[in-house]
Amino acid sequence: MNTKLESTDAIEQERTKAFNRRRFLRGVGACVALPALESLLSPLGARAAEMTLSGSPAAGTAGAPVRMAFVTFPNGAHQANWFPSGEGTKYVLGKTMESLEPLRDQLQIISGLDHVNATPGNDGPGDHARASATLLTGQRARKTAGADIHVGMSIDQLAAKHVGHLTRFPSLELTCDVVRKSGNCDSGYSCAYQYNIAWKSATTPMPPEPNPRLVFERLFGGGPADDRASNYRERQATQRSVLDFVREDARALRRQLSQHDDRKLDEYLTSVRDVEQRIEREEKFGDLPELAVAPPAGVPSAFEEHMRLMYDMLLLAFQTDSTRIATLILASDGNNRSYPDLGIPEGHHYLTHHQGDEVKLEKVAKIEQHYMKYFGNFLQRLAEIEDVDGTSMLNNSMIVYSCGNADGNRHTHDNLPVLVAGSAGGRLTTGRYLQVRSQPMCNLFLDMLDRMGVEGVNTFGDSTGWRVV
Amino acid sequence: MRCRVVVHGTPCRGATHEFSGSRSVKRNALIIWPTAYVLALVVCLASWADEPTGAVRFRDHVQPILENYCYGCHGYGASEGGRTFDEFASDEAMLANVDLWHAVLKNVRAGLMPPAGEDAPSDAQRKQIQDWIEADVFDIDPADPDPGRVTLRRLNRVEYRHTIQDLMGIDYNTTEEFPPDDSGYGFDNIADVLTVSPLLLEKYVQAAETIVRRAVPTVSKKPQAQQFSGSALRSEDGSKNGATISFYDETRVTHPFKIKRAGDYRLVAKVRSHGGFFFDPGRCEVTFSIDDRELLRQEYVWAENKSFNHDFDVRLEPGEHRIALHLRPLAERQASDDDERGKEELRFHIDFVRVEGPMDKKDWIAPPNYARFFPGDPPSAPGVEQDAYARYVLARFAGRAFRRPVDEATLDRLAAVAKQHYQLPGTTLEEGVGQAMIAVLASPRFLFRVEEVAPASPDEPFPPIDDFALASRLSYFLWSTMPDDELWELAEQGKLRDELDERVKRMVRDPRSERFVENFVGQWLQARDVGGAGINAIAVLGHQQEWEELLKRVREMRRERRRSDRDNEPDADGEASQRQRSSDSREVRRRFRELASLNDKYNAELWRSMRRETELTFQYVFRQNRSLLELLDSDYTFLNERLAEHYGIDGVEGRRMRRVELPPDSPLGGILTQGAVLVVTSNPTRTSPVKRGLFVLDNILGTPAPPPPGPVPLLEDSATAFTDHEPTLRELLETHRSEPLCFSCHARMDPLGLALENFNALGMWRDTEQGQPIDTSGELITGETFENFAELKRILVNQRRLDFYRCVSEKMLTYALGRGLEYHDEHTIDQLAERLERHEGRIFELLLGIVRSAPFQRARRTDAAVASHDAVETIGAAIREPAR
Repeated sequence: MNTKLESTDAIEQERTKAFNRRRFLRGVGACVALPALESLLSPLGARAAEMTLSGSPAAGTAGAPVRMAFVTFPNGAHQANWFPSGEGTKYVLGKTMESLEPLRDQLQIISGLDHVNATPGNDGPGDHARASATLLTGQRARKTAGADIHVGMSIDQLAAKHVGHLTRFPSLELTCDVVRKSGNCDSGYSCAYQYNIAWKSATTPMPPEPNPRLVFERLFGGGPADDRASNYRERQATQRSVLDFVREDARALRRQLSQHDDRKLDEYLTSVRDVEQRIEREEKFGDLPELAVAPPAGVPSAFEEHMRLMYDMLLLAFQTDSTRIATLILASDGNNRSYPDLGIPEGHHYLTHHQGDEVKLEKVAKIEQHYMKYFGNFLQRLAEIEDVDGTSMLNNSMIVYSCGNADGNRHTHDNLPVLVAGSAGGRLTTGRYLQVRSQPMCNLFLDMLDRMGVEGVNTFGDSTGWRVV
Repeated sequence: MRCRVVVHGTPCRGATHEFSGSRSVKRNALIIWPTAYVLALVVCLASWADEPTGAVRFRDHVQPILENYCYGCHGYGASEGGRTFDEFASDEAMLANVDLWHAVLKNVRAGLMPPAGEDAPSDAQRKQIQDWIEADVFDIDPADPDPGRVTLRRLNRVEYRHTIQDLMGIDYNTTEEFPPDDSGYGFDNIADVLTVSPLLLEKYVQAAETIVRRAVPTVSKKPQAQQFSGSALRSEDGSKNGATISFYDETRVTHPFKIKRAGDYRLVAKVRSHGGFFFDPGRCEVTFSIDDRELLRQEYVWAENKSFNHDFDVRLEPGEHRIALHLRPLAERQASDDDERGKEELRFHIDFVRVEGPMDKKDWIAPPNYARFFPGDPPSAPGVEQDAYARYVLARFAGRAFRRPVDEATLDRLAAVAKQHYQLPGTTLEEGVGQAMIAVLASPRFLFRVEEVAPASPDEPFPPIDDFALASRLSYFLWSTMPDDELWELAEQGKLRDELDERVKRMVRDPRSERFVENFVGQWLQARDVGGAGINAIAVLGHQQEWEELLKRVREMRRERRRSDRDNEPDADGEASQRQRSSDSREVRRRFRELASLNDKYNAELWRSMRRETELTFQYVFRQNRSLLELLDSDYTFLNERLAEHYGIDGVEGRRMRRVELPPDSPLGGILTQGAVLVVTSNPTRTSPVKRGLFVLDNILGTPAPPPPGPVPLLEDSATAFTDHEPTLRELLETHRSEPLCFSCHARMDPLGLALENFNALGMWRDTEQGQPIDTSGELITGETFENFAELKRILVNQRRLDFYRCVSEKMLTYALGRGLEYHDEHTIDQLAERLERHEGRIFELLLGIVRSAPFQRARRTDAAVASHDAVETIGAAIREPAR
């Protein structure tokens, strides 16, 4: 019997698969990054979007649907490099964002947004865990190693709750973190806080998917292109009957067990309901989007390839209107990855505690530019894809690129790095550097909810109002 | 006055004690009051006013000690660290402040308070404080301690995988298919943290379906089959095989097979045409034949990845036959102007070829795995017998899957799911039952570990869990999987608690206990993480600067070469200088390759060896029932050639890990000197004494550093104090420690980490750091001094031995229970540590102590649990084989 299932063997397995992944990237997957894909996919994206629009009101008032994504990078941003110089529309991009120059009209860089609930308060150390936990919830994570996890519903999940029914998937949660640290996480916080940014409720995180192949199969079905749709439908039929059974089973079990266990069964039942509703909804959406691309082989060994594949998945999901709401963790806060290919053998987290050391600062700047380069490529592709209203996908999106840590050196959580790309179909002003008076990040989230067409939500997290943007 | 409810005339305290490790309640000065509890109910009712209360006992026995030793900083108006012991609003408030007293308990017990150098209470006085806290603040009844809260625990993805392996006989790769589980308290099996998101539920349903489709046969009989993978088909000279054939190379591959009986056979071939993203005009003709009899001739063209199934009916005579596939190109390979394109050559794949038959039904056999799911002889005709059989099969399967007998109502629903399917025309009984099995694997009763209390327990507040629950606790603790047949049968017979110690020892000797080693050690000592630590060998070995320079030179040289290639200019320099340059560049390239190979040398094999070294060290102690202290200090370790070379030890050859006696003067021995621990506590380019110190505090001594008080100056700030030289880490830390804010933590962590400075970030021995000799001397916060790690090791296994016993007990109990420990577990931990102390640290004592402890054996009673008994009572009929 095989007893070595987990741990570093996973890494070794990945190595042996490296060949396949590289092949995928060079071949089919890479085509996602090629201009050719635009023509390959646009009609599908358009069709999917139209289909939804005809069935039910879109998130916005008219035209193409608005998409919302949150992409997070680790360890804060070096402020001097992050923020532009100048102000308003006459801004000059900082060093970190230099590569985004071609897209400057589609960008909005905002300073002055804070997450006071990520600060130590009475909770002591653990800024990295809090940075992740507070990022999209705006709430203070209860300091616990596990007994009573509690933070708050995240903004993406709130949006999904309101408009998630308009697409096949209410939301999509992605990550490039494959291997997690063992043992204790940050200073007495459960690892659930550190590795999740999307929270369905105060106590239930939405664990993100690290494997691009599985993201693809979930969205579009598995197997060779010809069989995907039928595999997918077949699966759903079985799922429905299984879900019927387990719903009853969970209810019966709840009657039988103690109240301590209620929470777990509630989680289970809520999930059952969610999946059932999703399957029901799917029928309204007609045929599954057909993609002339093969699924990725799995998790690539190179981090950069992994990032790129996850951006690909995000792009495909938006383009086929499979979902309009997504989160992507590039690496969770506190990540200590080294970048030997950039000439950086030291760990990222270690370097961000640079204390003004020029050499370290230089390396931090390189790493931040590196992350930005891949984000920029993603935006560029969104910008090149024509949406149903004739403008670009990027134009109709709100892509937030941020981190719950502001300055990685000092672990601050005020004046967070916030970059919003896309104008939500003209509903947001772009091409500017917006300096607002210190206020909660959650105010921005309220604005975004509004642009998603969500009505009646006037407070979120520690919000004090809205109209930041 | 607190008094337990007493029923059936039994005194509440001291009544049941069979599962707690020790009856001996050592309470010297305080011995009177537990005894008073035991006396009788009368005490509670009649004379409660006379019984000393917790507050009275505090004033009599505890306060005088605190006044003497603690009030200097935590009383008389002083409140160091925000702690004061003489300003409680009321007696109730004092007794209710569990957190404060828990902190006192930990600090006093570990000898952290009063601080080294101050007057300290005697051991007896410490014990007095400890006893008072446990009995009066924590309200722990040593005879019947609170077993704690049990949350419905989901299988984590490791447990799920093993459980599926044992239940279904197939491997489902959950590491790839399921997202990583969240962890808490240092482990990934913590019930409260294991949540179920919609995504995970979706994956569970899909996994259930995939697993059943793969594992459970859908027919009772089918023709025999021999299947060959594409790679089994080989060309005559053996150089090519059928797994991948280029569209452009004429290839013939064959494979021989034998059959015993003459008859009609079916040949099934699954093949694929696979090109890259770009269209490729290549074409080929493929001939498929048997014994030179052509069965198919077909042309294939570009497709991105398209499968074809071909089947042929053939009549075969007994003896050897040969299948053959012949591919002939029909188009020339086109010159590619694009590298990417050239690599994605059009290929033909044989996935498999299968020979099925004879097709005559009388020769059919049961599919593999059939009896595992469908025992006996299933009735072939629809009707009550078939229904009864389906019900029997499902009761048996669901019982094992749920790890307890299935109740009638659930079984009714399962049988209904099955029947709904198998009564459809063209559907087999097996398919219907398979459908119900999918439901079983997606059920919360499979995914969660449902526990019940023992039926025979009267209204105890903390009744024992039933045998089925105990069987699961044991098997998931020691094997990370469901109970095996033996445990299951013992639970059915209600005999699991007989000879429990022997049972546990047997489980330890079973190979499946390696999973415990892997999962427990992998997380406790973080051995799992060694492969992902990202240590940069070039930097650690001191070549970073040279490497960067070489990198620059190599890039320049490449640019130079490209330029001269492009310009194609005759070299203006003389031939001699050109020769000189090329010899320089040869040297640069040689050195570049040499350094680059360093990163390849420190590769997965080394990390795996390191992980195995730590696992095997633990496993050796574990299987041989040796002392836990050997984990800290031993004269042996586990090595293979690669790791031995890494440590500079001669005479170990080959890849196999084996036990190696260390030379008497070796600095090695014990997990803290092993690569795995040293690597995971390092930064990518250098050691981290702080991380290492924290690791020892957290995982060996069990005295976590107190949280830093708000924003603290960073270590690197201290560098500004040095103007004349680059400070060593020790100097940096010393300067940092001189800040009062930093002292409290770093005085605990740093000496422990600095003692390990002779081991670099790769776990290799070194005598100097940045050209300066390494100073490993230090003093623990508890006062012991040492010159080097060898001496520190001796302190750990002698003076700090009890701390280590407690720490391992806490870690293992956390893992065993799947929950964080709470104040009411203190007594259990005391007992485990004492038990280890009495038995020279033998690990079985800890295991047995855990298995017999109240938290492992019992549960808090809830009304729902009582009610559920009645339901359980009615179970059982279903599991018996139906009358046929």
